[in-house]
Amino acid sequence: MNLYAFAKSFGGQAAVTVPDLTLEAGTLYAVIGANGSGKSTFSRVIAGVLSPDGRRPVTEAGLRVGYLPQKSYGYRLSVLQNLLLASRDRDQAARLLEAVQLSHLAGKPAHRLSGGETARMALARLFMGQYDLVILDEPTASMDMESTMLTEQLTRQYVAETGCALLLVTHSLQQARRLADKALYFHKGQLLEQGPAKTVLYEPQHPETRQFLSFYGS
Amino acid sequence: MGSAVEQAVQLIASGDRELLNILSVTARMSLSSSLIALLLGVPLGLLLGACRFPGRGLLLVLNRTLMGVPPVVCGLIFYILFSGVGPLRHLHLLFTVEIMILAQVVLITPLLTSHMETYAAQIAGPVRETAKGLGLSRWKTFLLLLNESRYPIFSGYLLGFSRAIAEVGAVSMVGGAIAWKTNVMTTAIMQYTNRGNFSLGIALGLILLVLSLGMNLALSLLQRKVAS
Ligand SMILES: Nc1ncnc2c1ncn2[C@@H]1O[C@H](COP(=O)(O)OP(=O)(O)OP(=O)(O)O)[C@@H](O)[C@H]1O
Ligand SMILES: [Mg+2]
Repeated sequence: MNLYAFAKSFGGQAAVTVPDLTLEAGTLYAVIGANGSGKSTFSRVIAGVLSPDGRRPVTEAGLRVGYLPQKSYGYRLSVLQNLLLASRDRDQAARLLEAVQLSHLAGKPAHRLSGGETARMALARLFMGQYDLVILDEPTASMDMESTMLTEQLTRQYVAETGCALLLVTHSLQQARRLADKALYFHKGQLLEQGPAKTVLYEPQHPETRQFLSFYGS
Repeated sequence: MGSAVEQAVQLIASGDRELLNILSVTARMSLSSSLIALLLGVPLGLLLGACRFPGRGLLLVLNRTLMGVPPVVCGLIFYILFSGVGPLRHLHLLFTVEIMILAQVVLITPLLTSHMETYAAQIAGPVRETAKGLGLSRWKTFLLLLNESRYPIFSGYLLGFSRAIAEVGAVSMVGGAIAWKTNVMTTAIMQYTNRGNFSLGIALGLILLVLSLGMNLALSLLQRKVAS
């Protein structure tokens, strides 16, 4: 699937500039970069939450995009009802609640969950749906180690089962290396480097990317 | 003061017919006008707070202006429109409860709209972003926003009801405070006081306070239940 080049600025200040991109189905892309490098803005424009400068569409018409915001939000409904928003499939909801270890909280009001619980609920809620392209903006930022592992497993499974393309925004190089087939590196609002995970996450071509990786002591 | 309380209790206990009529007209007017204002103000406020569309800024300014209109001025405009020389005289609404309700709706709806707009502007970001991410329709997103607003809807209704039951300028003007027909508690208090019947006025005032207290207590209990 194709994403068309776009730029997004806030009050005249460019936040992110992206060239034409081609994403492959069934592929997991890690999106990495420092704070403020434009990862969330990139995600939000593709998800249709923000319109890009010039307002031209960035995805092909009819493309189903699923998106998990960086701050997950629980609606004032029960956890189960939150999941049923995206699809009415109760069996699927039960399976996903089990997978994120929230079965025991199915009846609890979602706005009363803890931070990590909310993040897990939001992931399960998103995976209730069917999409061609899924964007997860730092899904594990507020999760403990065990939940992080569960989430990674579930994410991989979702890509394998549905054959969607998935963009995973992450701060964790380890996580990117564990999961990604390909990677995109953002630097100061520019998509500086993209390619196979083996290259971008281990032997990047660009000095800026190398420097970024060196922070992780690898 | 003591004798006024006594008199109030006596009036209620004796089931004074005129008092009961005043109470029922007051209830009819306040409940219907606050309910209609709620039905108009909630969706309008949510739209203004959560959506960006052409004309939104103008609507906000208009709403704020309407909020500042003194009740007597509102009453005056309605009086002129519906009086014997006004363009709407054929409707024969002057000095009826209906026109009192109408005037109240015009006074209260802007308050409710503004109340809901402020709240919606605060929560709309995450509510919409999350819904968009799930591919939910605009209608479903609106229903979610409505559901997130349960608490302010209750407090907004209370606000509207309190304004309606306490209002005197507009309702006396368009209603005429006609005994057995359009006399409400506030206008009756004015009448009694003008006639020098202070204790009856105080008695009515006390009933008004107790009613308002009861209504607020009942609704805040309900509100706590709904909000949890
Ligand atoms: N709504 C907004 N209004 C103004 N500026 C914004 C807005 N959203 C983002 N920005 C700016 O755009 C730039 C990119 O922000 P963005 O949130 O995309 O970064 P990020 O890579 O997701 O960072 P982080 O790792 O901290 O989540 C930042 O300089 C930020 O200040
Ligand atoms: Mg971000």
